[in-house]
Amino acid sequence: MKKRKHAPKTETAAQTGSGEIRKTAAPEAAEAQRPAGAVPDVRQAHEIGDGMTKKQAMKIRMQSMSRSELAYLRRKRLAEKGWPVFRFLILFGLGFVILTPLIFMLSYAFRESRDMNDPTVVWIPRHFTLRIMKQTFRAMHLNRSRNNPLVNTLVLNLGCSVCQVITCALTGYGFARFRFKGRKLLFGIVILMILVPVQIISIPLYMTFRNFLFGHVNLIDSMLVMYLPALTANGIRAGLMIFIFRQFFRGLPRELEDAAYLDGCGPLMTFLRVMIPNAGSSFLTVFLFSVVWYWNDYYVASSFFTDKQTISTVLRNLNDTLNIELFNNANANISAREKIVWLEAGCLISITPMLILYAFLQKHFTEGIERSGLVG
Amino acid sequence: MKIPYERRKALYGYGFISIWLIGTVLWFLIPLTESLCYCFMDNQLLKPTAGGMRKSWLPLSGGKWLGNFRYVFAADPKFKESLLSVLKSTLIQTPMILIFSLFIAVILNQKFKGRGFARAIFFLPVIIATGPVYNIISGNIASTGADSGVQFSTLFETDLVGDLLEYLGVMNISPGLTDFINTVVTNIFGLVWSSGIQILIFLAALQNIPVSAREAASMEGATAWEYFWKITLPYVSPMILANFIYTVIDSFTRTDNLVMIRVLDKQQDWDFAYASAMVWSYFAIVMAVVGIIVLFVSRYVFYEVD
Repeated sequence: MKKRKHAPKTETAAQTGSGEIRKTAAPEAAEAQRPAGAVPDVRQAHEIGDGMTKKQAMKIRMQSMSRSELAYLRRKRLAEKGWPVFRFLILFGLGFVILTPLIFMLSYAFRESRDMNDPTVVWIPRHFTLRIMKQTFRAMHLNRSRNNPLVNTLVLNLGCSVCQVITCALTGYGFARFRFKGRKLLFGIVILMILVPVQIISIPLYMTFRNFLFGHVNLIDSMLVMYLPALTANGIRAGLMIFIFRQFFRGLPRELEDAAYLDGCGPLMTFLRVMIPNAGSSFLTVFLFSVVWYWNDYYVASSFFTDKQTISTVLRNLNDTLNIELFNNANANISAREKIVWLEAGCLISITPMLILYAFLQKHFTEGIERSGLVG
Repeated sequence: MKIPYERRKALYGYGFISIWLIGTVLWFLIPLTESLCYCFMDNQLLKPTAGGMRKSWLPLSGGKWLGNFRYVFAADPKFKESLLSVLKSTLIQTPMILIFSLFIAVILNQKFKGRGFARAIFFLPVIIATGPVYNIISGNIASTGADSGVQFSTLFETDLVGDLLEYLGVMNISPGLTDFINTVVTNIFGLVWSSGIQILIFLAALQNIPVSAREAASMEGATAWEYFWKITLPYVSPMILANFIYTVIDSFTRTDNLVMIRVLDKQQDWDFAYASAMVWSYFAIVMAVVGIIVLFVSRYVFYEVD
């Protein structure tokens, strides 16, 4: 059965000059014709025969080919053989480049600092230890019960992300489906939000928060400085999220809503009952990205928080904290090179939650955005 | 009360975006105009006080109102230098990132064993590269000499990259080319690590290429090479433009580029007027460059019209 299937396939391939197209349709057709004996376009069928291997059949066929056809086949074969090897080499090499920092972190975070001065130690530590990790953990204030950076980050991160996804989805839907005066202008503002760096508005924004409600309330250091913008679709990279949602909702078929309208649903109900269930994967993608962006943000956090700490700000200041808290006595003679050990431990601690998240939801990160309609 | 259907829908539209509109006016538009105003205020007097920012405009007469910009471009010791170097490195890096990420996206779009795993690795930078971790790691790796192709060279105690170039015969074609290749090899770490999102966007675009185009191409006997130039490239060209803009914006808003560091220094010195003048002129210059390039490139972009 296997052989018979092969023979017709290669025949048709020879006639068209490329083996790809009729692959699926041809075998059945040729097989159906064979018993009848009257096969119109298989002139070589009796020469090739059923009992031959694919290789032999190919050889016979190649005798009747023109030079350019042969050259084509040769090129194709070479590409088919060589490319996977080449591809593997590229992917392996670049994959190694990407993973280097992670391996680097794992390798450096668990070694004694004196290993840094040992030229024979490169990747595998000689003195394995958890001491560095523990010290860094304390230096990052992760053992505190009050004002714990991890708790702060989680509260900010999850809350803001949820708020922001909801409000950005509403806004994106408004831009995608309704025509109103000034829509183009307003959407221009959304684009402007993507383009303008936060650094431009950070100082006036600081003054706004510092003197909120005409100077009666000082919001600096309260979580509201993150929550208020997130609640009004203006948090970190909100412009991009509105844009993604708009593209996504524009891609959904209009019939969905028309049906809901005919059944007497108002626009808000339509949004809640019809659009949201259809937008599940898009929501998850944007939510995940939002979580990552809030987790990694330190500019906004360090601008508006003086006392409150998040993982990123702690990590950002880790070098100084270490100098103050760990190396502040005379006999702690730590060189910059040795300090790398602590810094790497800090990096490892701060990205571990994101790595775990990524490991579990990796499919949604990579496939969600493809389906979210960011493109087209 | 009877409102026409169209009007009602428009009202609902306003309803949907109203939350965002309030937020944007409060947290975006007002601060934006205010920071624009800072550019034209007296740096000495622009200081925060208990009730708010103390402001006083620069006098309009005799071009004095441009005083902050004059300071930024003429008197500031570092700004012009860092601006030029940032622009230069962005102009070099962006095409490299685009070509590289398109290449990787094409590869990751093919069918092979372990594709899911490869994708997972290549998107890893997306979750890490935006944070402070990246700066620390790249600094540490550089200081231990583990970045770039040179580490492999030291491993074998020879200039491996140079040898390879010599062997391929590219070494002496032109110093520019050699330089370029050396830059790519030395920056491979930064290159790979800053093209996560771009790969993601290109991959999404590649998957939107209609199957019929692929079939037609293979029917005509197109090789992979021809397929790339005649089919893939036109179809992803809108996304090349989008990726270009994204890459430029991303690189110039990074808090670790030289201009931004200078701006933050000024902000920490409470020279708010100078800082705003810097960041606004920077923004304007980058936008102008992007605008020119987009105008130029968009003539070659192919949009499929249904």
